[in-house]
Amino acid sequence: MSQPVLSAGARQPTEPVPSDAAPGRGSPQPGAARRSARRAAEISLYVGPALILYVLFVLLPIGLAVYYSLYKWNGLGPLTEFIGFDNYRRALDDEVFRGAITHNGIIVVLSIAIQGLVGIGLALLLNQRMRGRAALRAVYFAPYILSEVVTAVTWLLMLQPDGLVDTLLRAVGLGDLIELWLADTSVVLYTMFVVITWKYIGFAIILFLAGLQAIPQELIEAAAIDGAGRIQTIRRITLPLLGPTIRIWAFLSIIGSLQLFDLIWIMTLGGPANASNTMATYMIDRGFQRYEFGYGSAVAVILFVISFVVALAYQRFVLRRDTEGALTRNVR
Amino acid sequence: MMGPTTRRRKLLVGVLALATAISAGCGRGGDGAEESGGAETLTWWHNANAEPGLGFWKTVADEYHAKNPNVTVEVVPMQNEQFQTRIPVALQSQEPPDVFQSWGGGQLADQVSSGRIKDISEAIEPWIGELGPAAQGWQVDGKQYAVPYSLGVVGFWYNKDLFSQAGISAPPATWEELLGAIGKLKAANLTPITIGGKDRWPDAFYWGYLAVRGCSQQVLKDSVTNYKFDDPCWIQAGQKTRELIDAKPFQKGFLATSAQQGATSSAGLLANGKAAMELQGHWNPGVMRGLTPDRKGLGDKLGWFPFPAVSGGAGDPKAALGGGDGFACSYKAPDSCADFLKYIASVDVQKRWAALNTGLPVTKGSESAVTDPTLKSLLDFRAGASHVQLYFDIAVLTSVGQALNEAIANQFAGKATPEQVIEALNTAAKNR
Amino acid sequence: MTRQMVDYASGPAIGYRTRARLSRALAYTAGLMIAALVLVPILYVALGGFRTTGQLAADPAGLPDPWVTSNYTEIATSSAFWGQVGTSTLIAVLTTAIVVALGALAAFPLARFEFRGRETLYLLFTLGLLFPISVAILPIYLMLRDLYLLDTALGVALPQAAFGIPVTIVILRPFMRAIPGELEDAAAIDGCSKFGFFLRILLPLSRPALMTVSILAFVGSWNGFLLPLLVLSDPSSWTLPLGVANYSTQYSEDTARILAFTGLSMLPALAFFLLAERRIVGGLSGAVKG
Repeated sequence: MSQPVLSAGARQPTEPVPSDAAPGRGSPQPGAARRSARRAAEISLYVGPALILYVLFVLLPIGLAVYYSLYKWNGLGPLTEFIGFDNYRRALDDEVFRGAITHNGIIVVLSIAIQGLVGIGLALLLNQRMRGRAALRAVYFAPYILSEVVTAVTWLLMLQPDGLVDTLLRAVGLGDLIELWLADTSVVLYTMFVVITWKYIGFAIILFLAGLQAIPQELIEAAAIDGAGRIQTIRRITLPLLGPTIRIWAFLSIIGSLQLFDLIWIMTLGGPANASNTMATYMIDRGFQRYEFGYGSAVAVILFVISFVVALAYQRFVLRRDTEGALTRNVR
Repeated sequence: MMGPTTRRRKLLVGVLALATAISAGCGRGGDGAEESGGAETLTWWHNANAEPGLGFWKTVADEYHAKNPNVTVEVVPMQNEQFQTRIPVALQSQEPPDVFQSWGGGQLADQVSSGRIKDISEAIEPWIGELGPAAQGWQVDGKQYAVPYSLGVVGFWYNKDLFSQAGISAPPATWEELLGAIGKLKAANLTPITIGGKDRWPDAFYWGYLAVRGCSQQVLKDSVTNYKFDDPCWIQAGQKTRELIDAKPFQKGFLATSAQQGATSSAGLLANGKAAMELQGHWNPGVMRGLTPDRKGLGDKLGWFPFPAVSGGAGDPKAALGGGDGFACSYKAPDSCADFLKYIASVDVQKRWAALNTGLPVTKGSESAVTDPTLKSLLDFRAGASHVQLYFDIAVLTSVGQALNEAIANQFAGKATPEQVIEALNTAAKNR
Repeated sequence: MTRQMVDYASGPAIGYRTRARLSRALAYTAGLMIAALVLVPILYVALGGFRTTGQLAADPAGLPDPWVTSNYTEIATSSAFWGQVGTSTLIAVLTTAIVVALGALAAFPLARFEFRGRETLYLLFTLGLLFPISVAILPIYLMLRDLYLLDTALGVALPQAAFGIPVTIVILRPFMRAIPGELEDAAAIDGCSKFGFFLRILLPLSRPALMTVSILAFVGSWNGFLLPLLVLSDPSSWTLPLGVANYSTQYSEDTARILAFTGLSMLPALAFFLLAERRIVGGLSGAVKG
């Protein structure tokens, strides 16, 4: 839902915005200054409360994090030891942190590829008249509602050696696939990806289904009458029209993957041997477990900058075609 | 789990550990010294939030008030895991607790450097000798900032039945015997050693003990004080650790096993007869009791033996790795704080605390009150120890200690060499 | 949601009919398989709560035999559990109310007024999307301490609401913007003030979008972990996720009890979801297609 970050300021709405300022535009009127002061007051009455809350609890802490990041600080005493960008240099030099960034990258790519494909495929299949579709949709969406803590505690128990997952795999004759799901450094990240997918795939399916249903049926019918096959119709008509929805979903998924924290922290603490660290778990580990609040703040800032750059790039290269974006398509 | 007041459990980076930590719960209590008219309140944060410790400390607080009517002790029991992150924020706040749990070492030094801890050297000078050398772990630059009430050592807890099942007649006394016992247990299809690799610090016990065996006392002391780990004995500790890892003595999936949570934790596996031994602190019997359905742990089958001797090292085979619990006074605490610590350290209180069998007392003359046979054998070992080296992760500053634990855990995962462990340690020391 | 469905069965040729049947069979097979995968963990928790830890250890995949209800009844009759439900509800409602009220007010001029700096202001708000609450947690904590908001519901709700404002504005603005200007003109002719228009016309028309942002805020708050963990130190004022996390460590030896607690803690969320499913799904799709 973040597309405006992406398109902010760049686009005007496709239709003129009705505005009370409209009549006054073009020819300055007497009293314009007074009226503009009144309008400024009016606007701040509307925007003010949200802005105050937002500045106080979002922007100010971000600013403080930047400030702390320039100090060597164990979180105890006053901030005295200014060290410039040393914390940043140290973070970017740290193999463990670079590994964490890589892990975030892997989760981003896997999420887009696998959750995207499964989500779109399933949404296409379900987008037909069939009994029980609403129930299926509800089932897929249920994990999205459950908290990260509940998800983590549940999967932690299920993934114990010889726990439910192993038992079920053996029962269906796939016992050879069993791994030390959380203890094997080359497996744990992918285990976590499965858990993440379990929790978030429903969100993708719902979004895609909604997007599909917004596609005018006449188009599909026309294609069918023209003799287009099902696959062709999907490729030529459905998918392009679903594009904006897919792009928005992908954006949300990317940002979410970059900020991944709760599930990993509760299930693995980023281990074993840092094999499932993400930028956020690394940050909390350094900042809070090790009394390195200045350093942790620098990591937080890097995490923010990476998210920001990714968002900008995404808007530049992927989203620019969507004018007002998927959010408002067919609003009326 | 019951709450043996161990410094270990606080380090459990469990779910709650993380941040509750900074939730210092400031704003409550802590109105100490300012009060006039001679009436004082001591706010006391301790970590015994379960019986028997919970009730015991309450009694101690009430007794102290009865003896000193002008001092009211306000007790705030707190979950052990929460301390690590809670204390720094609490100390930053306007109303820090007057008396609070302290594990000494580098963490205390961290706190002292912020100027938030009261120097009580003078006040306790007349009686601190009663505690012997134990109190040294709570000194920073020769000044006393806290007083311990418990001091334990790490050693092997084992299942006597499984040992005899594997044909091991006596607990291993040397490193070679330990490796031999591992072979026998494996041959008998038993899991020789259980370890809580997810929590990292249990891994560090092996490395730490091997350093204590391999390094002379002087090297240990110098390295920890100067943050220079350049003696070859440090790398040798890692090499010995590798011998153990190569013997593959641990349970399946040990890298993801927690130390104390649930029947599938390392303590739980030992308690339920699923593994033969575990290298752990003096709190382990208490933890194990909570992890079996009958709340008895291994019962009579539980035995204890010290970490084996390692030939060729410069360390004393009688040296021990350990640590303990104490209480510190914050900078705003009234003078009665030190007097309160004196009461806690008195033989009378220490004896009654020892009788709970949740740890080993410190003050001379109180040892006799320990009745549990395995704990008694620990006590004997401690009494005979040439010196007790504080756990390395506690002895040094927190950032360095945690980096060390991480590096050792990486070695256990096959991701670091002994040299890389020292490299990580030195890097963290440089950044401290 | 239901208005158009591609109905291949109505096609002219027999071939379509067969293909439609095939397609439906495929849809059922795939749909049900995925549903099973989704349901397994939930069933494991729900059924596990009716077993004993011994049963669970003996056969993780078994059914309760015999059924044990004591795990559930003990928790469902404990005041701690209901206290946590109450706290979670209170905080989630507070958060939602703040987010929706402030977010809607702010989105209004951002959507429908012309003024200099509007897009900059909007961009400022959207920046918040890129910053998860966890990275700012220490400064936030210190600030809450200075504002005497620690250990209060507001101490959790205010920062949660602040972090919810960006997404709220981002969803509401295009929605409000797309409402035809003729309505506003008509309202003005009828003597409706700007605020009157906002309150009586714009808000009701934006209901689907308001629904979406309310639900996102509510679910986000209900599931929040890190912030309540820091702010609420007193166990008697914990939220459900804190309760679950604590319970799973405190009774770590008793898996069945943990499952029962986890299962019960799922209930309010699932019940809320079932009641509001149509709204949630409609709202989310509203966010996408309007």
